[in-house]
Amino acid sequence: MKKPYAVDVEILKNRREFLEVMGATVGFASLAACVKQPEEQIYPYVRAPEYLVPGKPKYFATSLARSGVGRPALVESHDGHPTKIEGNAEHPASLGGTDVWMQAAIYDLYNPDRSQATLRQGAPSTWKRFGEEVLPRFSASLEGSGCAILTGAVTSPTLAAQLDRLKKTHPKLRWYQWESAHLDERFRATQAAYGRALDVVYDFESADVVVAFDADPLFVDAGSLVYARQAARRRRDADGFTRWYVVEPSPTPTGTFADHRFRARRADVGAWVTELAAALGLQEGETRAAVQAMANDLKAAGKKGVVVVGPTQPADVQALAFRINEHLGARGTTFKTIEPVVASPVDHTEELRALVKSIEAGETKTILVLGKNPVFDAPADLDFAAAYDKVPLRVHVGAFVDETAHRSHWHLPARHALESWSDTKTFDGTVSLVQPLLRPLYGGHSAHELIELIAGRAGRREYAIVREHYEAQWGAALESRWRRALHDGFVANTQHAEVTTAPKVVDVKPRAVDGLELTFEIDGTVWDGSYADNPWLQELPKPITKLTWDNAALVSPATAGKLGVETDDVVEIEVEGRKVDAAVFVLPGQAEDSLALSLGNGRRRGSRVGRGVGFDAQRARPSDKAWFTPAKVRSIDRVYTLVTTQDHHRMEGRNLVREATLAAFASDDQFAKRPDAKVAKLSLYPEHPREGEQWGLTVNLNACNGCNACVVACQSENNIPVVGKEQVANGREMHWIRIDSYFEGDETVHNQPVTCMHCENAPCEVVCPANATVHSPSGINEMVYNRCIGTRYCSNNCPYKVRRFNFLLYQDWETPSLEPMRNPDVSVRSRGVMEKCTFCIQRIQAARITARKEDREVRDGEIVTACQGACPAEAISFGDIADPESKVSKAKADARDYVLLHELNAKPRVSYTAKLTNPNPAIDEKVKG
Amino acid sequence: MTEKIVVDREFVAPAPVVGAQETYRSVGERVGGVVLTRKLDKRWLLGLAVAFGLLQVFFFSIAWLLAHGTGVWGLNVPVGWGFAIINFVWWVGIGHAGTLISAILLLLQQQWRMAIARFAEAMTLFAVACAGLFPILHTGRPWLAYWLIPYPNTMDMWPNFRSPLLWDIFAISTYATVSLLFWFVGLVPDLATLRDTAKHKWARYFYGILAMGWRGSARHWQRYEVASLLLAGLATPLVVSVHTIVSLDFAVSIVPGWHTTVFPPYFVAGAVYSGFAMVLTLVIPVRKYYKLENIITDRHIQNMAKVMLATGLIVAYGYGMEVFVAWYSGVEFEMYMIENRMGGVYAPFYWALIFCNVLTPQLLWFKKIRTNLVILFVITLVVNVGMWLERFVIVVTSLHRDFLPSSWDVYSGSKWDWSLYIGSFGLFFTLMFIFIRVLPMISIFEVKTLVKSGEETP
Repeated sequence: MKKPYAVDVEILKNRREFLEVMGATVGFASLAACVKQPEEQIYPYVRAPEYLVPGKPKYFATSLARSGVGRPALVESHDGHPTKIEGNAEHPASLGGTDVWMQAAIYDLYNPDRSQATLRQGAPSTWKRFGEEVLPRFSASLEGSGCAILTGAVTSPTLAAQLDRLKKTHPKLRWYQWESAHLDERFRATQAAYGRALDVVYDFESADVVVAFDADPLFVDAGSLVYARQAARRRRDADGFTRWYVVEPSPTPTGTFADHRFRARRADVGAWVTELAAALGLQEGETRAAVQAMANDLKAAGKKGVVVVGPTQPADVQALAFRINEHLGARGTTFKTIEPVVASPVDHTEELRALVKSIEAGETKTILVLGKNPVFDAPADLDFAAAYDKVPLRVHVGAFVDETAHRSHWHLPARHALESWSDTKTFDGTVSLVQPLLRPLYGGHSAHELIELIAGRAGRREYAIVREHYEAQWGAALESRWRRALHDGFVANTQHAEVTTAPKVVDVKPRAVDGLELTFEIDGTVWDGSYADNPWLQELPKPITKLTWDNAALVSPATAGKLGVETDDVVEIEVEGRKVDAAVFVLPGQAEDSLALSLGNGRRRGSRVGRGVGFDAQRARPSDKAWFTPAKVRSIDRVYTLVTTQDHHRMEGRNLVREATLAAFASDDQFAKRPDAKVAKLSLYPEHPREGEQWGLTVNLNACNGCNACVVACQSENNIPVVGKEQVANGREMHWIRIDSYFEGDETVHNQPVTCMHCENAPCEVVCPANATVHSPSGINEMVYNRCIGTRYCSNNCPYKVRRFNFLLYQDWETPSLEPMRNPDVSVRSRGVMEKCTFCIQRIQAARITARKEDREVRDGEIVTACQGACPAEAISFGDIADPESKVSKAKADARDYVLLHELNAKPRVSYTAKLTNPNPAIDEKVKG
Repeated sequence: MTEKIVVDREFVAPAPVVGAQETYRSVGERVGGVVLTRKLDKRWLLGLAVAFGLLQVFFFSIAWLLAHGTGVWGLNVPVGWGFAIINFVWWVGIGHAGTLISAILLLLQQQWRMAIARFAEAMTLFAVACAGLFPILHTGRPWLAYWLIPYPNTMDMWPNFRSPLLWDIFAISTYATVSLLFWFVGLVPDLATLRDTAKHKWARYFYGILAMGWRGSARHWQRYEVASLLLAGLATPLVVSVHTIVSLDFAVSIVPGWHTTVFPPYFVAGAVYSGFAMVLTLVIPVRKYYKLENIITDRHIQNMAKVMLATGLIVAYGYGMEVFVAWYSGVEFEMYMIENRMGGVYAPFYWALIFCNVLTPQLLWFKKIRTNLVILFVITLVVNVGMWLERFVIVVTSLHRDFLPSSWDVYSGSKWDWSLYIGSFGLFFTLMFIFIRVLPMISIFEVKTLVKSGEETP
């Protein structure tokens, strides 16, 4: 990789300048000969800043973005370096929950492969030269003619205002937007139904019956954090239990949540929605029994019923669903439409098409790509890369030297969100401020500053730009409101107002895809490719499939049989004459004759992490059929090794995930405990003495949708290394918490998060010859890394297989940039030792120390484990089981509480709240699928 | 010689344990001659060179392992133990024949043991040397393996006395110590013989020092008898205890397929079984090459084959019991384990093991086969392979699919697993080749007691 140079080599060309530099160098060198001090003035803490206690972390509210939409966060900072991202509990769009992308953002800040220098045609250059070469093109006198700016979806009010101003001074400049995970069909649908582009917001906490068609509101939707919480709240306990129907082509976290999950090709989902509309009397038509049952349920629920259709469905199907919601009276209760949170709700595909056209016409002479990577993620038929090459001056601003950077004349490193001042809007429109936690590590550039520069206002700093934007709004109240907003992370009461318009009737076009359909999915780890450079996410097992380090063409067992392929076989997928190879992964739960390939993989440039991982779905993706398309699939004689962290997805009749219907639970509330009734509780050894708090944890299996936020949160909190594909293939992944997924039949998927169970009769403790794993008086199964010699006996004897061994030196001890990323409160483990979940003992100790100083007991809820804090669905409770009033004690007192493998009498401190389902008795099992 | 060892002529078994034409002198020359008068022969040198080459493979594998970590092997979670533990159990098992022959058969006054005891004991020591390295190397941080020894230390830490791995430390170290002492004590009179017959000055010094001043006086003999009896008494329980403890590494755990009460006797029988197979594997060619047929007679060979048959049957019973108890327990994990063993990905290993260890030794019922050295040699090789497979099946098939199906995975040895295993043969055979040429491989004085009297002692 290129290294940033302290001295610009270009300067040295000129003899006079060379002598100047030399003279200065000699002068400084003689001054600095004795002591090496930083050039800048440094300030020791003669008097420490207020509230700064060395070793005590501080928390700052800020906002991250995913496809432009804000994700409110609270960032933990240790002595000036951020180490961990939490949800912002006070923010209406987070409520404390996080997702995998937020959790992993901390790695991207410190990513050693981040772009670190200004590049001119791939060689290091200077900001000064950039100014000389590029800025004149944007000079106001030219009015921006021939200039184009390409951004992603923009929600930042400040940036939008800046772009607006820029349009005024540079009327000929064109602003294009492109997101690979775009909402084009959503906006087309609202356009058709309501006459304008709108965002759709649901309220699942008020919903009794939810029918989701090809939608993943709990994971992919912009409102997923809130939706997951709302949905879980109504399903944690038997009271007020909702019913969820999910019809989808490929299993999603939302699908695992369903009472009835139906597999349907994406092309056929429209027919389901049409039937539902017919069953509800909105139009004529036949209805299958399952849909009739849904309709009856929805009718009974009235305004408390809601139909959710994903933005991957064609606009007419979505519009029909809106009409169904209006018909049910759901508006205002479970469903509403609001002003879009993006500043300019344009059709991204059309935008990109227009850009390509303008380039082809020779109209675009200078392009500035802000933070996007269209060379990689533009639809294949637009052949963006070829068009891009024709632009005479191409400038790319990005965090990595990616595909687009490689084809650009100039590349500028971008700032990370944790280095920036900015603002975003969350899914409901709430304005959320972005504040930096540290100065840019590599002097990255801010979009705000660049736009100001282009507009001819050089030297303006982000802070001033953003603050000025609010000054215009708040006037005299600026200081107090600004401080408040920074503290809270958002500007209160800025949710977008509801837009109420009577829906128009939109006819659903019948869509028959003959043969196979290929669906494009947003990837559960790398999203649309924007997170492909993050090793935490690459190694994160994707929901349900548990694939890591690759995507794959997901096919159902029957379809695989028809194609004559099995897992790891490579197929050639042909779409409109474009061919892309992908390895097959056979997945029950996948719709027949439907092949799912997720976006964002198969990167060719960028960091060492993302390159060459998986298969590039974009190369087959048509612009007009962005989410599904007919495809020809041919098996080619090649095998590619796919790697998963879970190879076996059947429970083999073991009582692992215990489940009952609501009706069965009503007649037998002991169903979860019954299988364990006969177990004799004998132990060779006496019980461990108990002192003080007794820590315990429960997982509510009804709440968990398998989103993985806990897995990355744990990785970040506990300094867990990444091991790479080859090691995962060997079964050596290091995650301390994993989410097991089990299939029941072809439809139902169960999620089961598994951590160290902290057994009271821990099988691991007895067999360790070195006494390296011992029991604490508060019931924690402790792992003493320093004492461990690595016999791995404990892991063999652990029935839950939650122990992880450092078979090689997995931890990166060499890369300096990763050092400040690590949690200073957690040991960094080296080769040859065992490690595992500690119940976040560092957090327990911190709370204990605080409590002791204040001469009180630790309060219930004061300790939040990393997994618990990250969970958007509040599936995990942690606390003192000796205190009968604690939340966790109450959860454990639930009739549905059970422990895994009870018959072994290991007495785990981690227990599960058995799963309840609420199937519609009117739907015969046989109707499924 | 005391009355305890003196042979009652009437008691001598039907077939002679020593060739009829052998005399005191011939025995001394035949055995001692291998060490003292035989020229450096090329075939021995070639054998040593091959073994020494393998030893370098062993050393290189260890160096690689220490440089990179346990991850160079094929291990994973759930299969935390693999080749290292399999090889450890296998080598320890092989060692058992030596102790059994020298200790238990000595107490049972089986004279036929005398001719093969020394050889078998040496084999024990070398096998234990190989075995002992594996558990140390298999730890994640072998340089800290000494923490397992209970000694007062500044960390104020003791090892965990509940862990079977700790019991292993005691069992193996005791076994190694007693075996070494027993072997050495038995060597002393012969070392004195070599000292006395050696022509070369340095050889006389060498054997003289090792002989520790043995002069063959009655007092010496009396003390020798007491010492060897005591050591035999000490070693006898070790035959049973060592492999019992080794089996407890598995039986004490809760892993289905390991948590089995039949393990201790079944492991001991398996150990003796593999030990005798290995003794035969080694003795058949050595006896032929050094023309020791009159000293290690067909009767020895046959007896050892019979021991193999008997222990093989016990082992077969163990296999049967594993299956029966898994079914009888009614525990779904146990039942699945057996089902998986017999029909899962490792089923070929299981059935190969049944073929090697249960079916093949049935041939030993026939005297014709017991006396056909070629077939017998092949059978012993098959049994040795079978016993390795047995440990593989126990270690790997139990671990790779235990309680939670989500953790199920497969395991296979990496090239470094194989190189270390194959390299350990280098250690074993290097020691063996050196032993054959440096020390009397057969107990000269004991065999002499079997020779018909009437001749002068040399």
